[in-house]
Amino acid sequence: MTKTFKGRPLLPGNVEETAEVSHYGFSTSAVYVEVVFKDTNSGVCKDGDNKELYGRDLSGKIVCTPQTIGSSSGACMFMAICEKDIQPKAFLFANHIDSLASCGLLMADIWLGKRIVTVDMLGDEFLDAVKTGNKVKVFEDGTVEVED
Amino acid sequence: MSTTTESGRARIEGTDVNFTLATQTGVSKKDAKPSDPQPKMQLTPEEQEILDGKKGELWQKAMKTVVAYGEMFGATKLVTLTGTCHMAMSWGNKSIEPFLDIFQKFVDAGIKTYKPFTTDPRAMDFENNDPGPEKRKSVAETYPNQARLEEIYSKIGLIDGDSYSCASYLPEMGNAPKKGDYCCWSESSAINFVNSVLGARTNRNSMGIDMMCNLLGKAPYFGLLTDEGRKAKWLIEVKTSKKPNPMLLGSAIGLKVVEDVPFITGMKEHLGEMNEVNQGYLKDLGATTASNGAVGLYHMEGITPEAVEQGRDLLAEGYQTYVIDDAELDRVFNNYPDLWPNHNADPEKLFVGCPHLSVSQLHWATGKLRTALTGVDMSKPALPVFLFAGKKVKNGFIERYPEDAKYLEEIGVNIALQCPMLYLQTPLQDKELIVTNSNKCRVYSTARFFFDDAMMKIVTTGKLPKDYLEVKPEND
Repeated sequence: MTKTFKGRPLLPGNVEETAEVSHYGFSTSAVYVEVVFKDTNSGVCKDGDNKELYGRDLSGKIVCTPQTIGSSSGACMFMAICEKDIQPKAFLFANHIDSLASCGLLMADIWLGKRIVTVDMLGDEFLDAVKTGNKVKVFEDGTVEVED
Repeated sequence: MSTTTESGRARIEGTDVNFTLATQTGVSKKDAKPSDPQPKMQLTPEEQEILDGKKGELWQKAMKTVVAYGEMFGATKLVTLTGTCHMAMSWGNKSIEPFLDIFQKFVDAGIKTYKPFTTDPRAMDFENNDPGPEKRKSVAETYPNQARLEEIYSKIGLIDGDSYSCASYLPEMGNAPKKGDYCCWSESSAINFVNSVLGARTNRNSMGIDMMCNLLGKAPYFGLLTDEGRKAKWLIEVKTSKKPNPMLLGSAIGLKVVEDVPFITGMKEHLGEMNEVNQGYLKDLGATTASNGAVGLYHMEGITPEAVEQGRDLLAEGYQTYVIDDAELDRVFNNYPDLWPNHNADPEKLFVGCPHLSVSQLHWATGKLRTALTGVDMSKPALPVFLFAGKKVKNGFIERYPEDAKYLEEIGVNIALQCPMLYLQTPLQDKELIVTNSNKCRVYSTARFFFDDAMMKIVTTGKLPKDYLEVKPEND
């Protein structure tokens, strides 16, 4: 069964991949701490307190979360993962985007030419519905389809 | 829920705004819906030319970034900046390299910010606060890009090498915008001060966006730049029996309103007129609303400039009310987590000055130390004590209060120029047991927050006051 949600396409695009879901805010600097501090080329989540994503490889996946949280260096992290080509395909936010994510995602898009498709304001119902491993389709008008 | 930082220390949701769901811009969007109108920004012909690439690729990308950022938050146009600039990014860790690479392109093209700027304090000041060889090594490893950052800043528009302070709006630092100026600042405490106490207008800006805007001399018009965005969604009624500690009052407000604008009443009787001493109080209060919450602007009845002019007309329709009395402040204080491994351990150092102190606050702190030490006939504190301020403020203090400066030297108390918060976020240093009267420092580190009288007891004993110790039952 497919459930459909409509959000705001901030960095639009058409992508399809499996979901990686965090009901807790996505702490960008904690998730990618080893990318920057150990210069690793891995998109595996290193945020030990994010029980849902810890140890999971987020490269090329579709991350579903309320919004990003954490250190102000979070904006730089988006650029770092795009430079290494280990970024997720898309970020789907249930809430309004925050300033750190918007800055990082935009600057990666504009300055590095690396787009991570981004949709926000998908609502709590979206996060209630989507499960890690679900197939998710994102359309450029902000429509998101979640398949069981 | 708790989580850990890059340096492995614990953070606890609900006590740290970085772990609170908020847009961080100073304007809540919790009621926003994707069906809301999404305005396209109206650009002037000159701005459009830049966006079309007629001034070159660098300017075009800067404009694209700022326009797209503004549209994400509902901006309808760009405004021309008129005020001064301040950037929060003062630490050269590995993560900032992508930004440095971009900034370098502007330097190479000979482009500078539209006005000279100040920046936050450095993470280190070995001259005044030497952590020892092992920790110095850790500092070097943590901030490998410090020299590169400082070189780029000096070429792209930093006022001078002494322009590193979070309290850059203080008179000695010489970077205060005027009332009504449009600015694009980062550093949450500074943003809060220039909006609230000086009446300038800036959103809470992220690193990267601040530089793009200040290169262009433009900022997207939304949020705290607008009259509507500066309306208060909360009426805060302070009904305490005495003047509340600013860092506790600010904490209570920040935790309640998160990123809405509060209108605070009941403080005129405690503060009287705006003066140098009260500005220090308002600085500390505001910094705490900005760190315990994500407040970018507050109004205080009869005190702050817009509240003096407009009074309760600043309250938005449908505002909520929060009453703060002695019991409420006690509740907030008693809910702070203790992140020390051993609650009863002896503190190792005492920090005062997050945000950086003003000249009058350095004078006040010296007086407190003198009274405490002479009262028990001691010639030096029982543990290392550090005051934190910008270089130009320190020089101003030495000039204005030479006897105080001499006394601090005699008792071995240094005025360090660095950021105490960054000191406590640096590996190895982050394990030190620090006591502080800064509620901002508490939020961003494992430091424990104490009131000034307790701090002075610690100064003379080197131990936590008995009131704060956990006493186990005898037969436990």
